[in-house]
Amino acid sequence: MKRLFCILIALTMVLLALTGCGKKDQQDKSIYEKAQEMSWDEIFELAKAETGEFNAYGNTSRIKDAMTAFVAKYGADLGLSDANAVGTKMSDSEIYTTIESESQSASNSKGASMVMIQDGATLLTYIENTEFFANYVPKAYASTLNSSALTPLVQQYINKLIMWNNVGEAPVITNVWQLTEASMKDKVYFKSPKNEQVNLNFLIMLTSDGWATKLADAYKAQYGKDIELGDYKNAGYKWVAEFLSNANFSINSDTTIAGDLSKPENTGKAGLFVLSKLRDKSVVQENLTVGAFNGTINPFAGFMYPMYCQIAQNGPRPYTAMLFIEYLMTQEGFAPWGGSVGAYSSNPSLTVLDGDRPLTFWTDILVFEDPQYIADNKAEITDFVNKIIG
Amino acid sequence: MTENFTAVSGKRRVMNSIKAFFTQPANIILTVSVVLLGFFTIYPLVLLVLDTTKVHIAEVMFKELRGLKVGQFTFFHWYRMLLSDMSGVYFWNPLKNAVLMSVLASFIAIIYGGVVAFLITRTDIKAKKFISSVFIFPYIMPSWTLASFWKNFFQNPGIGSGTGGFLFNLLGVRVSEGFVYGLVPCAIVLGLHYAPFAYILIGGILRNMDANLEEAATILKASRAKIIRKITLPIVLPALLSTFLLVFSSSMSAYAVPQFLGGSSGFTVLTTTMKQFINSGWYGQGYIMAIFMIIFGLVILAINQYATGKRKSFTTVTGKSGQISYIKMGGWKYAAAAIIIALCIFCSVLPLITFALESLCVIPGDYSTLTLEFWISKTTTSSGNGIRGLFYEPQVWTAFKNSLLLSGTCALFAGTVGILIGYSVAKRRGTFLAKAADNLAFLPYLMPSMALGAAFLAIGGPLGLSKTFFLLALVGSIKYLPFASRSGINAMLQLSGEIEEAALIVNVPWWKRMVRVIFPIQRSTFISGYLLPFTSCMRELSLFTLLASGSTVILTTLLEDWQAWWTQSANALNLLIIITVLAVNFIVNKLTGASIDKGVGG
Repeated sequence: MKRLFCILIALTMVLLALTGCGKKDQQDKSIYEKAQEMSWDEIFELAKAETGEFNAYGNTSRIKDAMTAFVAKYGADLGLSDANAVGTKMSDSEIYTTIESESQSASNSKGASMVMIQDGATLLTYIENTEFFANYVPKAYASTLNSSALTPLVQQYINKLIMWNNVGEAPVITNVWQLTEASMKDKVYFKSPKNEQVNLNFLIMLTSDGWATKLADAYKAQYGKDIELGDYKNAGYKWVAEFLSNANFSINSDTTIAGDLSKPENTGKAGLFVLSKLRDKSVVQENLTVGAFNGTINPFAGFMYPMYCQIAQNGPRPYTAMLFIEYLMTQEGFAPWGGSVGAYSSNPSLTVLDGDRPLTFWTDILVFEDPQYIADNKAEITDFVNKIIG
Repeated sequence: MTENFTAVSGKRRVMNSIKAFFTQPANIILTVSVVLLGFFTIYPLVLLVLDTTKVHIAEVMFKELRGLKVGQFTFFHWYRMLLSDMSGVYFWNPLKNAVLMSVLASFIAIIYGGVVAFLITRTDIKAKKFISSVFIFPYIMPSWTLASFWKNFFQNPGIGSGTGGFLFNLLGVRVSEGFVYGLVPCAIVLGLHYAPFAYILIGGILRNMDANLEEAATILKASRAKIIRKITLPIVLPALLSTFLLVFSSSMSAYAVPQFLGGSSGFTVLTTTMKQFINSGWYGQGYIMAIFMIIFGLVILAINQYATGKRKSFTTVTGKSGQISYIKMGGWKYAAAAIIIALCIFCSVLPLITFALESLCVIPGDYSTLTLEFWISKTTTSSGNGIRGLFYEPQVWTAFKNSLLLSGTCALFAGTVGILIGYSVAKRRGTFLAKAADNLAFLPYLMPSMALGAAFLAIGGPLGLSKTFFLLALVGSIKYLPFASRSGINAMLQLSGEIEEAALIVNVPWWKRMVRVIFPIQRSTFISGYLLPFTSCMRELSLFTLLASGSTVILTTLLEDWQAWWTQSANALNLLIIITVLAVNFIVNKLTGASIDKGVGG
């Protein structure tokens, strides 16, 4: 009987232990500011003294390979091995809920120390409203990176490009308004913006004044007359609405889109998907034309989305995280992504693969994300998009 | 002095009665169960409701919420979901679609499962044993299996991806888009998946029904049609209703099937929309959908209780069995068997073959480009997806280990607690505590998987447990507890108290009575209480999709991730999940004699 009482008390204690929460003070914010003035060697010395696991979460599966290479090179000095240093692929929303949970933990020796996040707008919202993340720009790159890549720090950009099946007499796409024509109904493959945040971000960017003006000009260039907006706020909204009406969302994978689009029977069809999928074995490359490499498309040949790096403030190894971030900016650290076309380090000194183009080539012909504009307009344009696609 | 004496003795009396109360193991179990289950079922629900009136971090993007602080009170989410101009798109349409899909799926399941049950139990159809065992396959397999196969099978150049599927490539047949994507295929696939419910529930009654009734009618020269209409149907009516409600509520919470087959038609249901809201960090609106799903569950239970008089009617009905005279089908006994076997093969065997074939293709759908690299490549595959062959991919083994561990933990917890609750409820039948424990253990059954997942996502943050294995094990154990507690209670109610009393007289301690006396007698039923949570957990996606990630990834959530990127590897993984579930089911069946149909429907 006593034993049963003990069990009862033990269970209650477990429950109390679970519900009890002692919040550890977040890392002193000034350490990130101070570290921005430190060299790699100085940070390395501080990282040597750190304990606990080194975990990194990223919305990219290659984070595992980058971590493995980092550990192989510096693990002995930093006390890291494959057992206590792990890179894990997670979606953005999974990263946020996990970091939120870990930030409550008093002894977060197993939590993440850094994250790689795709959606800048939501990241900005978290940065403004929480102390989960800290931005860190390695001293060596503070002056070489483009100013738009500094806060939050962009580690790389990935592009999605307009391509089409060129078998037979397929029409050549030179203006994005062609994708909205009746003849293209259901012929433009695009992952549903409901399932792909970066696709939604691209559509949101088009409603900005800058892109709306460019789209209005492109309309005039294509049809020789001024655009009639009707109920649409600007040319961006009109293009988004007409593009979505023509888009085919039946495939939920960019790899499958690339493979299917390249089949001869899909002549005349187009798609907007990641360039890297062109190297997939299932894709018949010669059947696809990339608009950007074909004299480009007016006013854009696709879009570019960033991958951001942030330090998790409640993580056990902030200095190791800083080293890892700096490592990711080097040719070696970028190698897991740099092996494919379509991924571009924000570090302009890195070379790109043969057959691809450097980041500067894409600057004027692709739609780049402005996270602040997206954050300010996401709710409204998500509704606009969902009204169209149901 | 006397007053003092009375006071002391009163206090002592209370203490003594408390002490006496807790000398009974059944009382301790009930008290602990009510406290723990109360906390882990009511608390998430309360938090879920509260969260629908709070501002979450990503929700400050709404211009209506700008200026408000995170955590501040607001009715904005309710207004937006139910009354705003977007309510049709985000709530009413998905709700209408979900209800339509669930009603259709219920009818399909009842007609298909009911007809097969009738043919097996009431006619001399051929290959009964084979049909009977193959027919429940679609229920054992994950529901998306059939959905994914459906798309692979009926796809044609006129729709969707513009490439041909199995049927088109083989026979050149083109079906319409509405048959591949949207309401109809979702309902058919769910109907086929849940048809085994109907088969087991209706078949159980037909098998056990007193044959004298039908024989009496036959003697009175009633026609076969009249006998079915006037005798058989009224008898199986409660089972029909139970099946309808069971399939309806399961379909309402289905996520994988509408996610796979919603496709280009823009067919959305509550679960798929809820996941989008939660992925965007717009929890308030997502949780409102979860609440409505729970309300649907409660309404369904109320209807069922009202119609059948008691909740236990979900279990297979038993009754007096008699000598059944089979309907002679003549030549039709072969034709009907052939048709049903063909359908079973379509639903159970063909998907496995296509998954295997697709996992071997370099170019999906092109069977001239076969390779084994998606299974056995030790380095990353040549498709450039950054993952190795299935057998050598660390993610797969992490997920496999996690899935087994999670299923094992949930089964162990749910099964054991189910037995203990069964024991205590039977011992203290009719008391408040027994009723409370019984109802709390059954409550998770009414909560759609995804809604329960959302509720635990809501408590994960405050408890610091988000994305931990512990949270997964907890939610899984609680979700599957109703299966185990039902079988536990049923098993204990069949046991006479004298058996335990005999052991009690010779001073056998409680745990020994449980392990040496009670468990061995009802071993088979108890093991069913362990088996069902295990197999259900192995193929569960909706419950864990919001909760598992990173180091806690499980096979089903890994598959969901891969489906979006790497078709061939995803097909290989899908096959691995199905084979694992079937193998576990087969092994437990052979070792213990317990089978899935003993507990289906809770």
